Amino acid sequence: MAEYDLTRTVIPHCDRHLVFPLLAHLVENELFPAEEVQKAQYELAKETNMVDYAVSLFEQLHPEESVPEEFAGKRENALSTNERLQQEAQAVLDVITNPEVAQSLRQDKNQNLQYLKEHYNVTLEQINALYNFGQFQYSYGNYSGAADYLYHFRVLSTDPDLTMSAHWGKLASDILTGKWDVALEELNTLREAIDSRSPSVPQFTSAPSASITDPALAQLHSRTWLLHWSLFVYFNHPEGRTLLLETFLSPTYLNTIQTSSPWILRYLATAAVLSRKSSSGALSARVRHSLKEIVKVIQMEEYQYQDPVTTFLKELYVEFDFEAAQRALGRAEVVVANDFFLNEFRDDFMDNARYLISEAYCRIHQRIDIADLSERLNLNKEEGEKWIVNLIRETRMGADAKIDLEKNVIEIHRPPLPVYQSIIEKTRGLAFRTQALGAAMTRTTQAPPPASDALPAEVEAR
Amino acid sequence: MSSDDEGAAKAPAAKPAMSRFLRTGGSGSDSDDSDSDSEEESEMSQDEGQQQRRSRFLRTESDGEDSDEEATRVVKSARDKRLEEMEACGKTMDNAVKINDWVAISNEFDKLVRMVQRQQNVSEPIPPFFIRQLVNLETALNNAMAKEKEAKKKMNAANARGLNGMRQKVKKVTKEHETEVKRFQADPEAFEREYTAAAAPEAPAAPRTRRPRTDEDEEEGEEDDAFTTVGKGGKAMAFTAESIFKNLQLIQEARGKKNTDRQEQIKILEKLLAVAVTSYQRIRVLLTLVSARFDYNSSVATHMPIDLWNSAQGEVDQLIGVIMLESAYVIQEVTDEYDELAERTPETEKDGIVRIRGSVISFVDRLDDEFTKSLQNIDPHGTEYVDRLKDEKALYCTICRSQALYEKNKSEDPLGRVIMRRLEHIYSKPDPVVHALESAVAASDIKPSIVLDTEGQTSSLIHSLCTHLYKSNNSFLRTRAMLCHIYHYALHNDFHTARDMLLMSHLQESIYSADVATQILYNRTVVQLGLSAFRCGLIKEAQATLQDIFATQRVKELLAQGVHQQRYQVLTPEQEKAERQRQLPFHMHINTELLEAAFLVSSMLVEIPLLASIDTEEQKRKAISKPFRRLLDFADRQIFTGPPESTRDHIMQASKALQNGEWEKCRDLVQSIKIWSLMPECNSVKEMLAKRIQEEGLRTYLFTYAPHYTTLSLSLLSRTFSLPLRTVTSIVSKMIWTEELPASLDQAAGVVVFHRVDLSRTQQLALSLADKVNSMVEQNEKTLDNKLGLTPAWNERGDGAKGAKGGEQTTERRRGGERRGGMRGGARGGRGRGARFAQGLGNQMAGAQRNR
Repeated sequence: MAEYDLTRTVIPHCDRHLVFPLLAHLVENELFPAEEVQKAQYELAKETNMVDYAVSLFEQLHPEESVPEEFAGKRENALSTNERLQQEAQAVLDVITNPEVAQSLRQDKNQNLQYLKEHYNVTLEQINALYNFGQFQYSYGNYSGAADYLYHFRVLSTDPDLTMSAHWGKLASDILTGKWDVALEELNTLREAIDSRSPSVPQFTSAPSASITDPALAQLHSRTWLLHWSLFVYFNHPEGRTLLLETFLSPTYLNTIQTSSPWILRYLATAAVLSRKSSSGALSARVRHSLKEIVKVIQMEEYQYQDPVTTFLKELYVEFDFEAAQRALGRAEVVVANDFFLNEFRDDFMDNARYLISEAYCRIHQRIDIADLSERLNLNKEEGEKWIVNLIRETRMGADAKIDLEKNVIEIHRPPLPVYQSIIEKTRGLAFRTQALGAAMTRTTQAPPPASDALPAEVEAR
Repeated sequence: MSSDDEGAAKAPAAKPAMSRFLRTGGSGSDSDDSDSDSEEESEMSQDEGQQQRRSRFLRTESDGEDSDEEATRVVKSARDKRLEEMEACGKTMDNAVKINDWVAISNEFDKLVRMVQRQQNVSEPIPPFFIRQLVNLETALNNAMAKEKEAKKKMNAANARGLNGMRQKVKKVTKEHETEVKRFQADPEAFEREYTAAAAPEAPAAPRTRRPRTDEDEEEGEEDDAFTTVGKGGKAMAFTAESIFKNLQLIQEARGKKNTDRQEQIKILEKLLAVAVTSYQRIRVLLTLVSARFDYNSSVATHMPIDLWNSAQGEVDQLIGVIMLESAYVIQEVTDEYDELAERTPETEKDGIVRIRGSVISFVDRLDDEFTKSLQNIDPHGTEYVDRLKDEKALYCTICRSQALYEKNKSEDPLGRVIMRRLEHIYSKPDPVVHALESAVAASDIKPSIVLDTEGQTSSLIHSLCTHLYKSNNSFLRTRAMLCHIYHYALHNDFHTARDMLLMSHLQESIYSADVATQILYNRTVVQLGLSAFRCGLIKEAQATLQDIFATQRVKELLAQGVHQQRYQVLTPEQEKAERQRQLPFHMHINTELLEAAFLVSSMLVEIPLLASIDTEEQKRKAISKPFRRLLDFADRQIFTGPPESTRDHIMQASKALQNGEWEKCRDLVQSIKIWSLMPECNSVKEMLAKRIQEEGLRTYLFTYAPHYTTLSLSLLSRTFSLPLRTVTSIVSKMIWTEELPASLDQAAGVVVFHRVDLSRTQQLALSLADKVNSMVEQNEKTLDNKLGLTPAWNERGDGAKGAKGGEQTTERRRGGERRGGMRGGARGGRGRGARFAQGLGNQMAGAQRNR
């Protein structure tokens, strides 16, 4: 199953510290030789300021050798730097934490700066010290501290590049501390920042410096990073999957996925499958919609990327080959179980995937052999029957489907939609749309339309 | 005669001619060839007046130089003869002056000037007799003019015109020979003496030249060297190392004039090249020689003779070789002024680099253009064409050599042009041809940095060439490189990569403003993309891609493979000429018949099931492929159908068969089309087509006959269409899922159960009414969009229009859309590279902003 492991593709798009959990996961699931993974962990830690961690890793790796000298020096160095930076930052922090100051701070950053300078003699350099200290804390693994400092820095700083960098740092810290709500918030602000300010590359990325020259490319880069980082948040936050669908399916990010990171499709597909159940009622329409869209994209990108998860959807919704879908599902289960982001959702995934299969199956068929369906779902007969009863109860087809136990079949009678109903549906939205039309017209007479730098019509779908 | 004298006599006369040459030369190297061609032409017509005066008989006289011995003898007698002729001319003129016959004078004067010009061409001094005549004429003219003013009775019209013409001519010629005239006026006697003195030493020199030459022809250069040490001149001097520059200058002056014998000049230059000693001389001679060869054919319409082309190609190679070896010599289009007549070496130059005026890139461009032109003019079905094509290898080598040269010089601009040329030679060629070309390059001594790698991957070669061009800052080259790259991918059946590149390049939006050649390339690329989709079995994509070009019905013209006959407007000759020049040589053509076959077959596969699926007349009007539909209608109207002959016939009958569910007949008809043999991997394509026909046949069958059945057994379907049961199930399921077919599967019995509901007339009308209202609202929204300009989107139209399936859902979706839009709101600059689905995205974003 190692061939479907995405860790290697994902790592280049993550920050050094974000890779630790990924590697730790690899140690657990034993896809790769433990020693190699440990080596990788060590290499990773060596460059950070987490000296103790690196040392312990080294000891694990080479039990008989003594710890290299450089670590001691590094440790010294780190401690002293920490001391220095903390002192620098403390000055500002004292001022900011002063409730009086906190009250008088406004929305306008320049004004704030002015205010601080006048009253407390806080200069820009001092504020930057916050950033430096935050970054340093991050580098030795004190993520919550880093998040704090970076937050304060961001509130005060006016330097766009550093703010951006602070954004990324804060997001990484929040992810690593596991504060998913905060991280989600942070993610959204960061995304807005990226989308609005095109020419910015996170400073601490390993991005080639050439990319800075081209803002569009830099933005693509940032978006790709954001996609990867957001996986941490979306697959841990309770609401994450639906949010993931919404973000990733927005045209800009869908394009990013198609252009630079097709493997994200796995997460997109999984999220779509997972969201099926939670989306009872009103949400279901959109989720079905998203599935359709994702299937389209999967089909289109098939030549670039496919794995069992995407194959499953393709077989189910493009080829309607239920047997193949079932086989793919079997493999997808393993993939999901082994994936760092997805492993917790394995049962959910399987459940929902089964629902999808049976839903499609029932929609197409009129009479279904229960035994056959159970087999399709990888269930034994009794379980299958239970499953089907549940299915009938839960889904809308309750009224149409009946189980004939004598012949051991399900009969589904789907009366064709009456014509009057379809006409009603066709015309239902019209009044609303006309209203919107009218409203838009009155609105435009009041306010001039915003500057017309929106996208020109882009390439049509293939 | 001594060379000093000759130089002095020549210099003043030469000046105007010189500058003229420089101008044409400069323009030729600066701008593109097409430009310079026309410029040169106009230049020529400007000079027409002067050229007429030059000798038309130069050839007979100078032909004599071919065989050395005769040459000297002829020269002597010719010299006297010329003088006599001139004098006779002068006499006639004198007589004519007396009777005031200006027409005759004008004619004679023309003759005389021509003779004098000839005299100059063979670098002999102007006889004083001519100057005298000139001065006399001037006075006679003045007198005549004065008389004419006083005279009551005017001259007749012809005479008056002659007089006026004469006045201008004389003025011009006098100006040309200003110094001589002055000297003559100052002291006629002395002037005459000088002339005889200059002419005299030549007489004894002539016999001496004769002797060594008769001995040994091969030792010519050597003998000449020996000869020059003596320090005597004459015609034979022409081919010695010292006099090279003088000869070059002469030739350059004669260049572009109508009566210059180009062939002769080329011969002289070839001899000069043989005697050239230093690199500087070789470079200079080569530069002139190549230009002379290109000049040989003045007409734009016809191509250069092939043997000349071959030698020009060889000489360009040689030239590049020389410069590559001698890094101290540089050829530049713009240099400082330098003395054309002096020998230059790296030592004499300030920075040790000899800069010579010229342009290798223009030679390469011209060579390539001439090659194309000759291919355009040669009958593509003859052996001559094939023979000519063989020269491409040499040409390709030359291009690569020049690429190496520019790589060495690090001159980006010409390097880009050269690489583009190189790319254009290989992008559309199949691998074996590219391999052949590249192996020739590999065998040559001068190689560019980018060559075919050891694995022989042409794609990587093309890729590296293109990446180089992408980095250049010339957007024209970038566009063309991109198109060539895409074309190459398409040719190698890498449809997805090619398509992605084409879409990401966003060329579709800007191609309308590109130049015609690029547009042609674009068309070719798109067509090739369609073909590649067809070969890969992506029928829908192929159909959609080829649709556009076939809808215009001008396929040949758009691909520059034939001139379109316009029915309503007549092309001017210029337009037609331009059109002909744009035509691609035959070997680059994309076979239009094959193209049409591919298009029609894919249209058939898309259109026939669609036709079967719709039942109302109104829907039928919405055709996917209009050209196909037209042909089908036409075929339907025919009462008798004979056996198919053309490709179209085949496809039309195949379509009929497909409509009737006879997929086997359809398959046989389609497969029997002969043109498939031109497609690479034609067998696999045929197999793919057979499979598609089976599938689409099944679909068509289901659509057509569904109303007549309540159930249909899947196994029967599978037998009828010889498809595996699984495929049948899959196809039927898909149709059910997409709601194309109102049916469901009965798994237990293994049948399809149809639930067809026939609508009553009223119901039908109500449905179509609802549709119309819908489209009206949509239309309104669109109108409002347009009215509001680029950033409308007060409404989530994209979502709203699609999902009218239940109000709550729609509104829900809309809400969701807005929320989504809000997040997207900031993404204004967000044209990610691959914005493929972004249609209608613009309005969503702006809407979101307003909603906030």
